[in-house]
Amino acid sequence: MRRILSTVRDGRGFDIVLVGVPFAFLFALAGLPLIYNILMSFQEVDMFSLGSFIRPFVGIDNYVALFRQPETWPILTNTLIFVVGSIAGQFVIGFGLALFFWTNFPGASWLRGLFLVSWVMPGLVVGAIWNWILSGDFGVLNFFLRESGLIEGNIFWRSDPIFSLWAVVIANIWLGTSFNMILLSVGLSAIPGDLYEAAEMDGANGWQRFWTITLPMMRSTIGAIIALGLIFTLQQFDLFAAITDGGPNNSSNVAQYWAWDLSFRQYDFGRGATISVIMTVFVMFAAAVYVRSTRHEVRG
Amino acid sequence: MGIRKHSIAIALALTCASLVSFQAKAEDVKLTLWSLDRDIQPAPNLIKEFNAQKNGIQIEYRQIQFDDVVSEAMRAYSTGKAPDIIAIDNPNHAMFASRDAFLDLTDMIKTSTVIKPENYFPGPLKSATWDEKYYGVPKATNTIALYYNKDLFKAAGLDPNKPPQTWDELVETARKLNDPSENVYGIAFCAKANEEGTFQFLPWAQMGGSTYKTINGEGAVRALSIWKQLMDEKLTSPDTLTRSQWDSTATFNAGNAAMVISGPWEIDRMLTDAKFEWGTALLPVPQEGAQRSSAMGDYNWAIFSNSKHPEEAFKALEFFASKDATMYKDFGQLPARADLPVPPTGNAMKDAALATFLEQMKYAQPRGPSPEWPKISKAIQDAIQAALTGQMEPKAALDQAAEKIKSIEG
Repeated sequence: MRRILSTVRDGRGFDIVLVGVPFAFLFALAGLPLIYNILMSFQEVDMFSLGSFIRPFVGIDNYVALFRQPETWPILTNTLIFVVGSIAGQFVIGFGLALFFWTNFPGASWLRGLFLVSWVMPGLVVGAIWNWILSGDFGVLNFFLRESGLIEGNIFWRSDPIFSLWAVVIANIWLGTSFNMILLSVGLSAIPGDLYEAAEMDGANGWQRFWTITLPMMRSTIGAIIALGLIFTLQQFDLFAAITDGGPNNSSNVAQYWAWDLSFRQYDFGRGATISVIMTVFVMFAAAVYVRSTRHEVRG
Repeated sequence: MGIRKHSIAIALALTCASLVSFQAKAEDVKLTLWSLDRDIQPAPNLIKEFNAQKNGIQIEYRQIQFDDVVSEAMRAYSTGKAPDIIAIDNPNHAMFASRDAFLDLTDMIKTSTVIKPENYFPGPLKSATWDEKYYGVPKATNTIALYYNKDLFKAAGLDPNKPPQTWDELVETARKLNDPSENVYGIAFCAKANEEGTFQFLPWAQMGGSTYKTINGEGAVRALSIWKQLMDEKLTSPDTLTRSQWDSTATFNAGNAAMVISGPWEIDRMLTDAKFEWGTALLPVPQEGAQRSSAMGDYNWAIFSNSKHPEEAFKALEFFASKDATMYKDFGQLPARADLPVPPTGNAMKDAALATFLEQMKYAQPRGPSPEWPKISKAIQDAIQAALTGQMEPKAALDQAAEKIKSIEG
């Protein structure tokens, strides 16, 4: 008894407790819902069987039926475009801004803080505002594009199947850029200044310093940001609800919005769960890549 | 020991006595009611009045959000915690009724002196009916009709007292009113990819002689072709595809659309926002003499089948129905009653509009009723959007929808 107590206080038992508590927490709050979701994707679930656990088992019928639907592949493609487009835009603009503020001109930190306003705003509010900006007939964006001579007629950002997905991507880039910028700024400030001094003495120019010092030193930060970006864009829901509703004709529909639509508008919970499982597989794959890419991390 | 034994016996006796006296006080029957009405809407106010009668029944109110009504109710029902009474959106009624989650009220209605089926508009009543039995009572109702800007009619040389009567006239009128240089579209309506799109399209299909079961019928194809024509000729904003009815009507109020198809919920906003003279007309029909139709919205009252107090719950519904006469005056909602005139409000434009909507109400038809309505509706929305974006021909799009609906209905 005493031995057990002492190992818990200081020894292997303590380690097990340290690991066990967060593991139990994670299992209860993330593991169980995940397992339940996977289970649901193999069952026929409608609203009347929502409260019970034992439901008709249908095997992979949900998956087969899902991939027979003509809209499935276009929606998965849209999801890919949305994720890649959003992350690329957020990252490039965010990195540019972070480098800009890194030069530390007077008022830089103050301005940088102001940028966070876009991140603090609730998604539905952002969506409603972008809804006005992107409106076809009286939208501000069309007004500026027209006045600057870039376009002749109005672009119907929300209602033209060619543009609707990009309308949401633009709004999402605006929403996520500041978060990227802040994290990248933190990463930049952690790079020791003497590295640059040494490189400068060796005669490296600005471009070389960026490629050989800044980027390699930022590797783990960039990996973390892209992984977080993937999670944030895959859970982006409010903007779709507020701007396009997935329309017109599913041209701006993405997996996460579709899963909600199937579950809570058409009450086909089994199929909604099926999409979630597919999304989970993709996120796990991305997470594995992220873990691999940051494994051989070197800190200067 | 002896004293302890005695004291326990006394305590027991006392508890029993108090229990008996408690029950003898004729405890009030407690009912629970769920609806999405806010404090200025009917449910909470009617409940307050009902409880003030002190007739031995007390209702407890819970407000739920629009998106949660169905899923909350389902979960509550399947775990045995359903409320006694619920206000349910009419296209979802059949889903509950077909599974006997709602109580069959046919016999109670037969003997009721307050709720009489013949007093209701046929459309709303049908939405509360499943398998020839009444599973609920219409709570309120609404429909859609055509609003038009009389000032713009005059400016375009049209007679402001002769709104378009047929589909062809509607397109022709929209062409004459359309004025891109002034940012004026001929007409506004809603073809959004949600229930609103189905709500606006189905009446057109029904006027053309189709139903949701024959959605690829000739009349429905022609209806969708007319919609497409309005889009292709830019007689309506391309944002019709993604804009709600409420937002579409806002462009009418701002003078950027000369006509709009929407419901009576717009009247009050239009009276304050629209700085022009406007009128209302019944929805145009395919050709002169064709059958009329319109959409039908709003909620029904229903009693859950596992309610412990069905008699008392029905009494509450009777009380609500008895207040239908003052529903428009008090809450601005139309009762689903054909036997009750809506009293004049004193505002000529408003009264004329209400008269149009009451007339249109006679032709209003429910969506479904079908327990699979959400999926059927989705198939129709997909067809509308595929055709209007030019990705499919109207006929092909509706054929696909018909096939989907057939497989959904089994």
